[in-house]
Amino acid sequence: MEPLLKFDDVELYYDHVYALKGVSIEVHEGETVALIGANGAGKSSILRAITGLRKIRKGEIRYHGSRIDGTAPDEIVRMGISMVPEARRVFPFMTVRDNLLMGAFTRTNKIEIQQSIDMVLTRFPRLKERFSQQAGTMSGGEQQMLVIGRALMARPRLLLLDEPSLGVAPKLVQDIARSIVAINRDEKVSVLLVEQNSRMALRVSQRAYALTTGKVALSGNSAEMLADERVRHLYLGGEI
Amino acid sequence: MEQVIANGLYLGAQYALIALGLTLIFALMNVLNFAHGQMYVLGGFVTYSIYGQLKLPFVIALICSGVTLAIVGALMEKFLFRTVIRRSKREESTMLLAAATAFFLDAVVLLLFGEKQRGVPKIISGVFVSDRVILPYDRILVGVVAIVMIATFMLFMQYSKPGRAMRALAQDRIAAQLMGVKVERYSMIGFALGAMLAGIVGGLLVSITGVNSGIGGPISIKAFLMVMIGGAGVVGGAIAGGFILGMMESVGLTVLRAYGDITYLVIFALLMIFLSIRPHGLMGKPWG
Ligand SMILES: Nc1ncnc2c1ncn2[C@@H]1O[C@H](COP(=O)(O)OP(=O)(O)OP(=O)(O)O)[C@@H](O)[C@H]1O
Ligand SMILES: [Mg+2]
Repeated sequence: MEPLLKFDDVELYYDHVYALKGVSIEVHEGETVALIGANGAGKSSILRAITGLRKIRKGEIRYHGSRIDGTAPDEIVRMGISMVPEARRVFPFMTVRDNLLMGAFTRTNKIEIQQSIDMVLTRFPRLKERFSQQAGTMSGGEQQMLVIGRALMARPRLLLLDEPSLGVAPKLVQDIARSIVAINRDEKVSVLLVEQNSRMALRVSQRAYALTTGKVALSGNSAEMLADERVRHLYLGGEI
Repeated sequence: MEQVIANGLYLGAQYALIALGLTLIFALMNVLNFAHGQMYVLGGFVTYSIYGQLKLPFVIALICSGVTLAIVGALMEKFLFRTVIRRSKREESTMLLAAATAFFLDAVVLLLFGEKQRGVPKIISGVFVSDRVILPYDRILVGVVAIVMIATFMLFMQYSKPGRAMRALAQDRIAAQLMGVKVERYSMIGFALGAMLAGIVGGLLVSITGVNSGIGGPISIKAFLMVMIGGAGVVGGAIAGGFILGMMESVGLTVLRAYGDITYLVIFALLMIFLSIRPHGLMGKPWG
């Protein structure tokens, strides 16, 4: 079957310095795929390339079989790809409600938008308590829930998550991991999850790619990678 | 005393509208629009031509001022600012460009309308008199129109979809883009809207104080003052700054009259002290 997203031999540069040097990855319909790797490995660059925030120099990106590289970010959302960016990026001086409404910017049906808000609030009850609070005043974990909810408001087919565990209290990391699994299952969204918390990423995903300095070093079944000696050594800090 | 407050409110409402336009453009594009006063002047002359010369109703003239400036603003954004922002990473470039458009608009206004001070017939005559306040009806009307416009603008920014998109854009450009906001389109809408507000105030005030081609620069400087008092890029700050400046001017003109024309000298001195204590103005944060 044709993959939902096919990232084929992509090269990406910042000025003259490469960040991706011939990376190929695939996400199939219904999957959760993890991208793990150290700081500066190029994980975020992959997501920036998919959303059109950064132009690629070589290779192809296909979504549902058609080329999407070179498409502007605002068009990419309309095609059904939503991204939760690195460092969250809530709209800090807007309420939770307005942040969620911004997530539905590409949609017009008010009734359906309200249904999506209800869905997000059921999934993240904390957001319900904070519905009229300014987003910038919430805790890191709450902001993370908000940006995941905001991304869901666009009703994506493919959800890109960039380090949702970063700056989130350990207890909430569990919650967020659970919601990723639940979202993937209930909303029929495929997920591409970037994480430095490799253990969490490998637990919630079916397949994974491990990146080192702009290249895929290892890839395979997440459960197997979690047990793999090399992965343990390089990405899980030895112990389990 | 009541008289001074009434004058301050009337003036403050006009100033607040000017500052709102300037702060909108700044918040959206990080451009300090040096040509804001010139846009005001152009708006004044449009109303002068249509209401004063062609004798059409004032409302129509005012709408023409707004529409003309919206178009001028949109064109300036699309062909000048967008091009420069795309090619240059340095902020000085857009400042220079803004200064250049200010000189350009000054010249255009001078060529089209000459250098004379121009006024128009009163929009309504008569004076409101009570024991403490004397206020001509036209000032009251112009003040009320300005306040209604401020309220409309704020409701638009707060509750409409384009308003929300512009706030999002001002708070986080990249995140807004990821939500599907077309940055270029909304920058243009914002610039047009900001210019429109300047043009409308120009049209309103031509009916009270008249207009001449030389006041663009001073108006721009006043607009900067207000935005600095309130805090750049903040709606509440622009409004506060506008009313504070209007009030200071009104008080100054009364209290300091005996010492000659030193109101603005005093205002500048106060502002310097204020900014050294609060460099970000009253509410130094973008778009609350
Ligand atoms: N805007 C930029 N300008 C220049 N170089 C950049 C820029 N963004 C990223 N890089 C470089 O590109 C490489 C890959 O960066 P990227 O952000 O994709 O890494 P990452 O795997 O997401 O790292 P992290 O875990 O720290 O977020 C790094 O070497 C980084 O320094
Ligand atoms: Mg990253």
